[in-house]
Amino acid sequence: MKVFDRRNELMPRPELEQLQLERLQSLLVRLRRNVRRYRERLADLRLESLDALASLPITTPEDMAESFPYGMFAMPLREIIRLHSTMGPDGAPLVIGHTRNDLTQWGKLAARQLVASGVTANDVIQVCSGTGPYRGALGITLGAELIGASVIAEEAYHMDAQLAMLSNYRPTMLVTTPSNALELMRAMDQQRIDPPSLQLRTVLLSRPVDEATREQLRAGLLVEVQSSFGIEEILDPGLCVECEHGHFHVNEDQFLVEIQAGELLVTALCREAMPLLRFQTRVACSMSRDKCPCGRTGVILKPGNRLDERLLVNETPLYKGQIAEMLSHTRVAGRQFAVDVLASRVVVSIQLTEDIFSDMMWPLIDLQRSLELEFLARLGAPAEVRFVQSFE
Amino acid sequence: MLLQVKNLRCGYGSLEVVHGVSLHVCAGEIVGLLGANGAGKSSLMKSIIGLMAPWHGGVWMNGRRVAGQPAWRSISNSMVLVPEGRQIFSDMTVRENLLMGGYHNPDRGMDLDMVLDRFPRLRERIAQVAGTLSGGEQQMLALGRALMARPKMLLLDEPSMGLAPLMVEMVFAEIRAMRDLGVTILLVEQNATATLQIADRAYVMESGEIILEGEAAELLHNPEVKRAYLGKGYKEVWE
Repeated sequence: MKVFDRRNELMPRPELEQLQLERLQSLLVRLRRNVRRYRERLADLRLESLDALASLPITTPEDMAESFPYGMFAMPLREIIRLHSTMGPDGAPLVIGHTRNDLTQWGKLAARQLVASGVTANDVIQVCSGTGPYRGALGITLGAELIGASVIAEEAYHMDAQLAMLSNYRPTMLVTTPSNALELMRAMDQQRIDPPSLQLRTVLLSRPVDEATREQLRAGLLVEVQSSFGIEEILDPGLCVECEHGHFHVNEDQFLVEIQAGELLVTALCREAMPLLRFQTRVACSMSRDKCPCGRTGVILKPGNRLDERLLVNETPLYKGQIAEMLSHTRVAGRQFAVDVLASRVVVSIQLTEDIFSDMMWPLIDLQRSLELEFLARLGAPAEVRFVQSFE
Repeated sequence: MLLQVKNLRCGYGSLEVVHGVSLHVCAGEIVGLLGANGAGKSSLMKSIIGLMAPWHGGVWMNGRRVAGQPAWRSISNSMVLVPEGRQIFSDMTVRENLLMGGYHNPDRGMDLDMVLDRFPRLRERIAQVAGTLSGGEQQMLALGRALMARPKMLLLDEPSMGLAPLMVEMVFAEIRAMRDLGVTILLVEQNATATLQIADRAYVMESGEIILEGEAAELLHNPEVKRAYLGKGYKEVWE
């Protein structure tokens, strides 16, 4: 059994529940004092038992978007030392702040996952986000530093460069997105690189994948495959630890989780800059309190699909509304269009009207390319633009 | 958990000063309870030990409910309070004070030697009237008297109060040494830095509520701790 923080990860349930109650009570005091939105909602509400959690107000992603940028912060800005952005409902920007202690805690939580994945001070870790964004890379770096593992401080975007790093630096762990891991597997196959010729032992994926994908990666790269599961608006990675038995154990000393109508709600008990109360994650989940042979006492989550319109294109989150909004700023504004979202790109079919039609090819190709570039620049998603005469 | 406090409320007359506090201390830990003057720390201590009846909530020692029991029963629960201002018997000698601490202890003669070995200054002053000791020596006497009861858990209420910096260092070194003897300690203090340097975990109390809890090393750098201590004057800087 590989455990980074035995006291907290293996804490007996009665002590854990007492700790959660204490942390929740002091969180309510801080929220009431420091965050106007919560002060209005909580008034004099006090909580005497975790069973009464449902009586507390819910925080929605819309609340966060309305409070943009700093309205949800429970600390003055001068105590915030790191700002990250993420995507809120319909692509609205959200800001996530971290105090110094928040970053320390993040490192410790990420270290829990790394140790559970077998990382020691002897390991070398390569973090590759590939072509999509991976905001958790910082957490992984902080965690690896705590363990004493070496992190390759270079980001290789091109597949050849990634392969070169794998063979030159001989990392034992690769932290990457599922899309990039699959791409890497295909590239190795094409270039006839034998997986055992590398030192790679484990691939830690940035998000959970289905069993078929996991098995495909296991067989293709001849490695152990593990995933982290977090919530970007709160902490990702850091919410859970996937143990050697494939169970996502919540770090319950720091997070309270509940399932309401199939949706995961998370309360961040220890975050200083931006503690959130009963945050609606818009992620479907089921929860189990079964005992796990790994010894961790945190509840087990089984994450499911997103419950909102958010899509994932080449690991980039995207809402369909954002596509219409983006097209409205281009030359094809007002034209009828259809969108087909694939895992690696968005296929946008736009009606070819008389005013944009040309009997020469290059103006249309030029328009097509400029639209595709616009997609990448504004939404971060690769797109394929097609012109069609009419929609059936 | 050796000590567990849940939703404890208490006060004076009709005035509630502790508003639903929960905390716990595990065996072998030093846990700090920090806060400015008037935060409700001493009232909470009195309520835990039984000197003040709690209005609401519970206190458990080793899983046994102790809230509401008279203070003298706390000795049989292996819980001893070293009160604020030492409260030694100033007209009695050092020896008499120590023996009073071990009143229920059949082995008090043997334990007296152990305590005097631990605090050699007290051995030098064994026949001296306690009221003539210096502040630091009186604090050592209060700690020694508490040890005579062979407690599993010590509640120390502001042991550094009114002491010279050198004596504060000595008292905190003794507290750390007591933990090494296997005594669990809940340390109520205003001296946040010194407490956080020896504690494993700590709670920060403000206006009768716990506003922060965490590992001592992390709280040392927490700006909320500073704010809780500096009170309203800090608000302008804060906001």
